[in-house]
Amino acid sequence: MSSPSVTTRSSGSSSRGAASRARRSLTGFLFAVPALALFLVFAIYPGVQVFGLSLFDYSLTSPPVFVGFDNFVFLSTDPRFGEALAQTAFYAVGTYVPALALALVLAQALSTRIRGMGLARLFYFLPLAMSWVAVSIIWRVVLHPDGLLNQVLGLDVNWLTSSDSAKWALVIMSIWKETGFFLILFLAGLASIPPDVYEAARIDGAGAWRRFWYMTFPLLRPVTAVCAIMAILRGMQSFSPQAVLTDGAFGTEVVNLFVYKTAFESARMGRASAVAVLMFVLLLGLALVQLRALRRKD
Amino acid sequence: MRRKDWTRVVILIVALAGGLVVVSVLFYAVLAAFKSPGESFGSGSSWFPEEWQWGNLIKPFEIAPFGTYFLNSTFVGITVTILNLITCTAAGYSFSKFRYRGRQAAFVVVLATLMVPLEVLYVPLYKLVFDLGWVNSFAGLIVPAATSAFGIFLMKQSIDSVPDELLEAARLDGAGELRTLVSIVVPGVVGPMSALALFIFMTNWDSHLWPLLVASSDQYRTLPVGLAAMQANNLGDTGVPIILMAALLAVLPTVLLFLTLQRRFVDGIAMTAGLK
Repeated sequence: MSSPSVTTRSSGSSSRGAASRARRSLTGFLFAVPALALFLVFAIYPGVQVFGLSLFDYSLTSPPVFVGFDNFVFLSTDPRFGEALAQTAFYAVGTYVPALALALVLAQALSTRIRGMGLARLFYFLPLAMSWVAVSIIWRVVLHPDGLLNQVLGLDVNWLTSSDSAKWALVIMSIWKETGFFLILFLAGLASIPPDVYEAARIDGAGAWRRFWYMTFPLLRPVTAVCAIMAILRGMQSFSPQAVLTDGAFGTEVVNLFVYKTAFESARMGRASAVAVLMFVLLLGLALVQLRALRRKD
Repeated sequence: MRRKDWTRVVILIVALAGGLVVVSVLFYAVLAAFKSPGESFGSGSSWFPEEWQWGNLIKPFEIAPFGTYFLNSTFVGITVTILNLITCTAAGYSFSKFRYRGRQAAFVVVLATLMVPLEVLYVPLYKLVFDLGWVNSFAGLIVPAATSAFGIFLMKQSIDSVPDELLEAARLDGAGELRTLVSIVVPGVVGPMSALALFIFMTNWDSHLWPLLVASSDQYRTLPVGLAAMQANNLGDTGVPIILMAALLAVLPTVLLFLTLQRRFVDGIAMTAGLK
């Protein structure tokens, strides 16, 4: 638009312009209203309320009684909660460290350009398309004393019914289920590295291992960071395998199952809310530590 | 063949062998699902059934309301997916193409909820749904899942790349904002929308904890809840083939979706991590 037309604009048309801009802003806001209303009611409101509930003794059927920090005091000395925290950490580390490492290595292999690699990828992705409950049921047979795992390993382990092995059984199954997810992320990361970077390195005579360690891995750092955050979130949220395969017995009760049982089997919703508050603080702390670690590397 | 080509062939063979190890678990399960009730699935016995029990295919429907679980999962999954497409695309459009006070703040709040896992929310969320009278109703299964932070983020990023000039042209032609969205914006973001749809549907099909809380009666149970209940009622070894069959039938729709739409599925997962 040329400047004369701006300067000669009458005051009437500019106020009409302002009115139409305001109306556009309002229309624009209205498009966000359904999503924002749902967030407000089903995420923000319960997210705020959980702090309040954590200070009450409360079951759905009786009126809440204010107990101050009693729920937190109880949890701080509850061995069952401590074990649930430890078990969650064991499950998250035991599953996701190997899954990420496997995915990283597999991504190198599966990004090799050769006919037939698509089929190999498909095999690794397949567990991703299956629900956790169904996978758990399938693995109950695999982990049966007469099942596939013992057959292949030549062992006679009661995988799901002993405190020594149940937590490992869950980890083995979850590595099988979860590696494909991170494989997809690493493959996407690898695909975003321009090929000429490798050409240059190859011309410089860098071997495969050096190319991986000095080029690919640093270039994949943003992807690795995303994977780590997702791994923590997924690990801390685990529920179905433990609920289906052991119901938390044999030392496999993770925090999520502990919250579920506390709230809905023991009807102590206040105490369960206190756990939720602690988990929220823990996750926030982990996120901050991770952000700081990332920034330092940059 | 050159040495480099041989290296590739070796990598392919190793990758395929590893992939077969992964898939062998499913192969074993499928074969065991066709065995007769008393037949061993253990060591010393063949992987293959002595006699193929094709009747096992319908047994899950006979021992439990498996068909109802299936229909519930399908109905809830499709409804939640459609609602997410609407709410997320509209919100993405709003955050991307309009300027109003509080827009940035609202978007940041939405993004922040990405980091909050369900376990932090579900106790007060259950209280809310209980107070609303939505326990054992489709509303309880559907409405709290009707939008997603990830979906809004994805749609905003995608709509950012639709040129403003296109929108201006439509407005000069007298199209309202809604028509601009439907006729100009949506056709430009069909790819991300279908990836989002697939992702939401798959996630919903997998959803276990929330439906377990709000759908305790058989009438409203979805597949994960129903399956878990079925296997808890059939823990004896003799029920193994039937419950396995139920689990395999339950994964069939998502596995078929995955096999036909693999590219979109993979893109969708990469998008969840902001990698695409």
